Amino acid sequence: MLRRSFLHNVLLALGAISLLTVLVFLPSFYLLTFIFTRWDEIYNEIFAHPLIGDTYWKEIGRYLSLSLRLALTTILIDLIIGVPLAYLLSRGSFPGKSLLEDLTMLPLVIPTSGFGFATMLAWTASYGLPAILGFDIKVDTLVPMVNVPLLMLIIHVALTFPYVVKTVCGALRDIGKSYEIIASSLGSKPITTFRKITMPLIVPSLLSGLVLAFARSLGETGATMIVAGVSTTAPIAVVKWEFENKLAPAAFLGALLVGISLAIIVPIEYLASSSRRARRLIPLGVEVLLVRWERKAPGRLRLFRDIISLLSIALLVLLPIAVLAYNAMIYWRQDPYTGRMEGGILYQLYGPARYIDVIAKSMMTSLIVSSLATLISTYVAMISIPVIARSGYGRLLRIMLKVPLVIPTSALGLAMILLWGPRGLGLVPPGLWLIVLTHVVFSVPVIVETGLASYFETNLPLYEDTARSLGATPYDVMETITIPMIRRGIIAGSLLAFTHSLGETGATFIVMGDHTTVSTLIVNLVESLAIPASIFASLVLILTSIVFIVIIRHLIE
Amino acid sequence: MPDIKVVDVYKRFGRIVALDGVNLHVRDGEYVCIIGPSGSGKSTLLKIIAGIIQPDRGDVFFDDVRVTDLPLEERGIGMVMQDILLFPHMNLWDNVTFSPLTRGYNREIIVNIGNEVMNLLKIRADKKAYPSELSRGEQQMIALARALASRPRVLLLDEPLASLDAHAARALRYELRRMVKELGLTAIHVTHNQEEALSIADRVVVMRKGKIEQVGTPLELYLMPKTPFVSRFIGGEANFLEGHVAQKYGNKAVIELRNGTRLCTYTHLPQGSHVLVAVRPEHIVLMKKTKEIHGENMLEGTIEDKNFLGACIRYVVKTKEGSLIVRMRRGVISFRIGEDVALRLDKVVIFEYPKEGLLKAIAYE
Ligand SMILES: Nc1ncnc2c1ncn2[C@@H]1O[C@H](COP(=O)(O)OP(=O)(O)OP(=O)(O)O)[C@@H](O)[C@H]1O
Ligand SMILES: [Mg+2]
Repeated sequence: MLRRSFLHNVLLALGAISLLTVLVFLPSFYLLTFIFTRWDEIYNEIFAHPLIGDTYWKEIGRYLSLSLRLALTTILIDLIIGVPLAYLLSRGSFPGKSLLEDLTMLPLVIPTSGFGFATMLAWTASYGLPAILGFDIKVDTLVPMVNVPLLMLIIHVALTFPYVVKTVCGALRDIGKSYEIIASSLGSKPITTFRKITMPLIVPSLLSGLVLAFARSLGETGATMIVAGVSTTAPIAVVKWEFENKLAPAAFLGALLVGISLAIIVPIEYLASSSRRARRLIPLGVEVLLVRWERKAPGRLRLFRDIISLLSIALLVLLPIAVLAYNAMIYWRQDPYTGRMEGGILYQLYGPARYIDVIAKSMMTSLIVSSLATLISTYVAMISIPVIARSGYGRLLRIMLKVPLVIPTSALGLAMILLWGPRGLGLVPPGLWLIVLTHVVFSVPVIVETGLASYFETNLPLYEDTARSLGATPYDVMETITIPMIRRGIIAGSLLAFTHSLGETGATFIVMGDHTTVSTLIVNLVESLAIPASIFASLVLILTSIVFIVIIRHLIE
Repeated sequence: MPDIKVVDVYKRFGRIVALDGVNLHVRDGEYVCIIGPSGSGKSTLLKIIAGIIQPDRGDVFFDDVRVTDLPLEERGIGMVMQDILLFPHMNLWDNVTFSPLTRGYNREIIVNIGNEVMNLLKIRADKKAYPSELSRGEQQMIALARALASRPRVLLLDEPLASLDAHAARALRYELRRMVKELGLTAIHVTHNQEEALSIADRVVVMRKGKIEQVGTPLELYLMPKTPFVSRFIGGEANFLEGHVAQKYGNKAVIELRNGTRLCTYTHLPQGSHVLVAVRPEHIVLMKKTKEIHGENMLEGTIEDKNFLGACIRYVVKTKEGSLIVRMRRGVISFRIGEDVALRLDKVVIFEYPKEGLLKAIAYE
């Protein structure tokens, strides 16, 4: 009896770990080893090419520099708008708060290429906001000082600030209001309380939020491609080189991106989880002056906070979607500027180009891919959750599962094609199945995380132990206790993974072969300047995911 | 220092009425304890005085100045909450000096205030220690030191001793009172523990269902409870008997209980009134039963149960008016279970019989 149960345990753990290793961990690891195994090739191409010398190395430097500057500027702005917004969402009480919360999280789940396109429409002169306000933003307008394209910065901020809001909001809710109340009863002004009490307490979460945002910005491909113009970020370069079949520089840059993400995430996650103690950074004398200044500071900061919060949601989330919908309306029959029917959505869809067929076909592909990927991932996640939750090495597995969430998507795509494609194991050619495999890589961690959250919330280990003490085998326990109890968590995670999969662009681009998903189709449509068709496809894609989000919300509540 | 008035305060949370027309006057320099069952609105009242929550209706005055709209940080109060809440990321010294620092005082003043309160409270823990390294009792003292370092005029304490063991809590409560008196503060102290309240308060406020049931000195509450609820809540246990006013001579009256026992006492209720008689267990004297029972306020009964309470023994005695609880000092005389005894009711309090029935009138809610 005991031996059988032991065997079951070992088999379950082995199964889960090998599935996770092959499906989730292997690709990024493979990309990193690529540098060592193919070092000669890389060296000859990148550092000492017989014809062009170290041109590639210089290009890599340029692209990485842009990506890093972009990511740093992005998280700086995330910080400025994310913290006040998190404060408003966790401390304020006002009508429409849950709507505001949903809106904040929207960029995390709606398809990036569609959203990127909507943002471009909203912020470039001929279509959106600048036309109304009378200034001019082009794709090559640069932000002074840091020299990053403004449009790119806007889209990166829009796609990453929810990470900061989400983690900080969670921390603020956890610590509650009590410390702040005590601080005011001791005579502290709100701004001093924020600096000395609230801030230090949320720093760990703030750091993890910023790291997530940083990694996301460093790897963002789908939306960036749409607003890129002539600028090239590192992830875009990976895609570009892969298309030009220059595998050595693509793989090298991809590996560098993975390396940078890991090098930043691991120490900061470690730091964030260790100490809650604040050393005195400011000497007492300066502190006294600072406090005096704070006591005189105007009490209007609250207003400032609310304005920043509402404005950023309005500009970053609502405006793009509204402009997209508005454009869909005015472009419906004809080009609103020239009046030509050929420039209208209907003509592009049903005219000689028959874009409707292309869109429908890619929508089909997207749905098939997302369903398959979600199905496979859900199964893998269900086997893994008990193992991760109950075993000693589970924590390590859990940290490792963070990697696919932060590795740049184009690097992931490259890793997949190098590993499974014709040049690697030759098992899966680019196309539908490779897309599915790629999406499994980042879907499993999403489902495992939500599943684990509900696993620990429901106090499951207790029930499981009870069942085992009654003589149930681990497999019985999983089937009759574990899975039913965390079903809602898993379903919510699956839906989340589904929307991720529906919107993924960067990796899909590299592994899709002759198939096209809607999100990649949008990039192609924009690049071939079929604007009306892009408007239509983006709107359809965004609306589809909003429907899913509403469903998730209902399930969670 | 200030004199605090709470005038006609109402507060509801959704459908729950937390405070239902509360009026309270705490005098300058007074130590007032608020007691009452769970959910009676004690914390809510304290929070309204502090300014943490706003009343739906009514006002709060400090020294006859309306402070209802004054923000928390300007009321000059020091608070110690039930769950201590030391700032976890600051060491002991930074916690204690938080208030003088955030008021923008000079360095030397900050250090002086810090040392002064630490000395006052005789805190000897390492100044560099973090809250998680201190015992609950030490944390409690630091929280108090932190509140005192803000030089408050009013000290608001919400169950400040609830997390300590009984021994430490008892030692600290007298210390608390001494300190408050020494500094001349006005203190309001919420507690669950009626013994704690009676032993240190100048006056005690009994709350129930969002209303103030009675305010008075500990002795007044003990000897002259205004309602059956107060008579049961103060002291913990009480005997209740039903009867009517049989005869009246001025303020003197003879009460006849259900089964004919007659008690001589005082009441303002008219002849014929339906009354409730409350008798404390320690106000009943047990005696060996002699042949004849005579004399005033006497009853006879049989010992049904006996519990050892340390200095006292608690008896349950079956009489013709029902079972009575009796508490007697140990030593002088003792009775066996089953023994027949005589009882003398030394002191009784007469209430008009509650319309809602006895159980509802004394329920802990
Ligand atoms: N923020 C709140 N939201 C909703 N209801 C509340 C809130 N605060 C208090 N209440 C309700 O108001 C009533 C009075 O609460 P209060 O905390 O004042 O009771 P209390 O006398 O302090 O009780 P305890 O002795 O348990 O601390 C309770 O029924 C409580 O549930
Ligand atoms: Mg309370």
